[in-house]
Amino acid sequence: MNTNGDRLERYAELAVRVGANVQPGQEVFVHGLVEHAELIRALTRQSYRAGASYVSVVYGDQHVKRAMIELGPDEALTHSPEWEKSLARTTAGNAQLGTSGNPEPELLADLDGERVGRAIALEVAEIYRQQHRDRSVNWCGVGSPNEGWAQQVLGEPDVERLWELVAFCFRLDEADPVAAWRAHLDQLDARAAALTERRPDALRYRGPGTDLTVGLLPSARWGSARFRTAGGIDYVANMPTEEIFTTPDSRRAEGTLRSSMPLSLGGQLIRGLELTFEDGRIVRVEAETGADVVRTHLANMENADRLGELALVTKESRVGQTGTLFYNTLFDENATCHIAYGFGLPYAFEGEPDEGMNVSNIHVDFMVGGPELEVDAVLGDGTELPLIRNEEWQVAA
Amino acid sequence: MDERLERYAELVVRVGANVQPGQEVFLLPGVEHYELARALARQAYRAGASYVHVRYQDSHVRKAMIGLGPDEALTYSPEWAKELFSSMTGNAMIATTGDPEPELLADLDGERVGRALPQEIVQIRMQQIRDNSVNWCGVGAPSAGWAKQVLGEPDVERLWELIAFCMRLDEPDPVAAWRDHTARLKARAEALTDLRPDALRYRGPGTDLTVGLLPDVRWLGGGGDTSTGILYVANMPTEEVFTSPDARRTEGTIRSTQPLALAGQIVRGLELTFEHGRAVRVEAQTGAEIVRSHFETIENADRLGEVALVTKESRVGQTGTLFYDTLFDENATCHVAYGASFPFLADGEPGDGMNGANTHVDFMVGGAELEVDAVLADGSEIPLIRNEEWQLA
Repeated sequence: MNTNGDRLERYAELAVRVGANVQPGQEVFVHGLVEHAELIRALTRQSYRAGASYVSVVYGDQHVKRAMIELGPDEALTHSPEWEKSLARTTAGNAQLGTSGNPEPELLADLDGERVGRAIALEVAEIYRQQHRDRSVNWCGVGSPNEGWAQQVLGEPDVERLWELVAFCFRLDEADPVAAWRAHLDQLDARAAALTERRPDALRYRGPGTDLTVGLLPSARWGSARFRTAGGIDYVANMPTEEIFTTPDSRRAEGTLRSSMPLSLGGQLIRGLELTFEDGRIVRVEAETGADVVRTHLANMENADRLGELALVTKESRVGQTGTLFYNTLFDENATCHIAYGFGLPYAFEGEPDEGMNVSNIHVDFMVGGPELEVDAVLGDGTELPLIRNEEWQVAA
Repeated sequence: MDERLERYAELVVRVGANVQPGQEVFLLPGVEHYELARALARQAYRAGASYVHVRYQDSHVRKAMIGLGPDEALTYSPEWAKELFSSMTGNAMIATTGDPEPELLADLDGERVGRALPQEIVQIRMQQIRDNSVNWCGVGAPSAGWAKQVLGEPDVERLWELIAFCMRLDEPDPVAAWRDHTARLKARAEALTDLRPDALRYRGPGTDLTVGLLPDVRWLGGGGDTSTGILYVANMPTEEVFTSPDARRTEGTIRSTQPLALAGQIVRGLELTFEHGRAVRVEAQTGAEIVRSHFETIENADRLGEVALVTKESRVGQTGTLFYDTLFDENATCHVAYGASFPFLADGEPGDGMNGANTHVDFMVGGAELEVDAVLADGSEIPLIRNEEWQLA
């Protein structure tokens, strides 16, 4: 085996053992694009080595989706085939691995944005959302370098260079990557615990084009992407992960927020997204490009126009340290502070989620962080506590 | 957009599967065949498909299962995959062949390779074939690995040219050319059905075999109708006329004349000896183990399910190319299959002579020296094939 093959297998092994933490006897469901076949095959091998009873691989294809949006009937756009519902249902109690890294990020750019935004298998999405709520799946999403993605990130199809960046974010350069991940997650969890203890009533964001106050919920915790299923399996949902996050009060957001990085969404690039909130709802959407995709989400999906997540990231982030824009939410959201519209995260609560948690069929993260962004916690007595300045963490653990 | 690719896909969608407006279409391509799969998806929507499902298959994933997975995984059929195959009933399906890595599984335990079949899914699919409830088509998808095996170098363009020739894409109106071609095959099949032979007799190097035929089973060529009357051509290319023999009446020995790519291995020089309809001896230069494993683990795999006649007018045969792919090679020359019969060929209820096995494996027996005769009920013999030419008026 050559060294690159070795890297691929080590990467897959880390995703299987630390990420999804596949248990002996579990079924494993692997989702990714046909262009990710090399990594998906390695994930399959490592899953069987970890004791998987069976590995189901389900390849997606953006071009087939494009054909559906461009040439298919209207009903096809939101159709949930029975077999995909069955696939989603049988994932409960089992492990799931997903790969990302879009080989053709602008493939859908010339299509009708309204149809692109509407093309979601709604019933399938609802099943997976319920599993999130029930914490019934140990899962992990990882990046899969490919030529098209490398071209977008680096300006040339240098897959090897992209692999090096991804491996750095994955801490594969550490002598003992498993131990390095444990230490890293412990640090994030300590930050999250400190913030949860202070019980802020709101967060205040200030920066270029941004002045936003978002209310928080008393029963919501801050946490890292290290989770535990209802059945007691610890897993890391995203690798890399550099964030601590919570779910805000979806009824309390006021002000304006400007995204600080482009966002790849539904086959289009959203640049310079600017959202205005009143009484928790987005009342105005502007963007340099791609505003239509976001507007379609908000118009077609119930409660897509309310916030579901707030996440804080500092410049210690390995993703941020690469200084690279990955055009991939999995990576870019871990480079800097971000916010998501759409569904809230039920596992961010002690016990039952608060009724202020947003319920929706979609969850879209966009990046708002940068050197000029200031984030403060507004405490119950109205005092403000600095959390982030110059991308550095301000609260003593 | 690649013009040839789109025309190829259109022919498969319109003539092969004959996708009807409002039907769902199920694509079952290899993961390396994504270019053709995408063209098929486009053409299926253009033909009025209500939804196109794509289920990519990956032989590396299969290899991991066989090499690293537990024993139960080998025959396991996941719920979602059973649902997927069940949903094909009443709808259209298109599958691709052309193995990019034909020897990928060669270093695995042959017994496990032979056993690795999702039993319940195979049963669902076999039932659909018995009920003739899916208008489907299997086609070739060129890839570098397949080209390397066929041509000795990964010349995908040359392989494309050969396949386009077999598919009659060089004709000004390929759809019309296919209509003429399938009409000729249909006429041959009807002549044989009318002749009602009691048996076929094969004679050639290493071959002396008599196969009993069933009185109420038709010959078929050039496509047929689903149970709901949708005309489709299940294989493109197709050059054969075929029937299902009496699985209880096969005597003698038959030797394959071309290698056969089977479950990731190459079976060369296969020689089967039959007594009372059953294969009692399996020899081969390579790959005998996988055939033996089929016979041992799959009920009635050791009986025949198909006999097919092909002449040298075949476009596949004319290329003089060994494609290492059953879809093509079986259409180059005469072949027989062990395993499942085609019950839809029976007039009325399929009788006991039909084979209900859960597999169907074609192997090639034709060549310049093969003689095939029809043995009539009165014992007289009528030549059907000599020197690869059709002998019946």
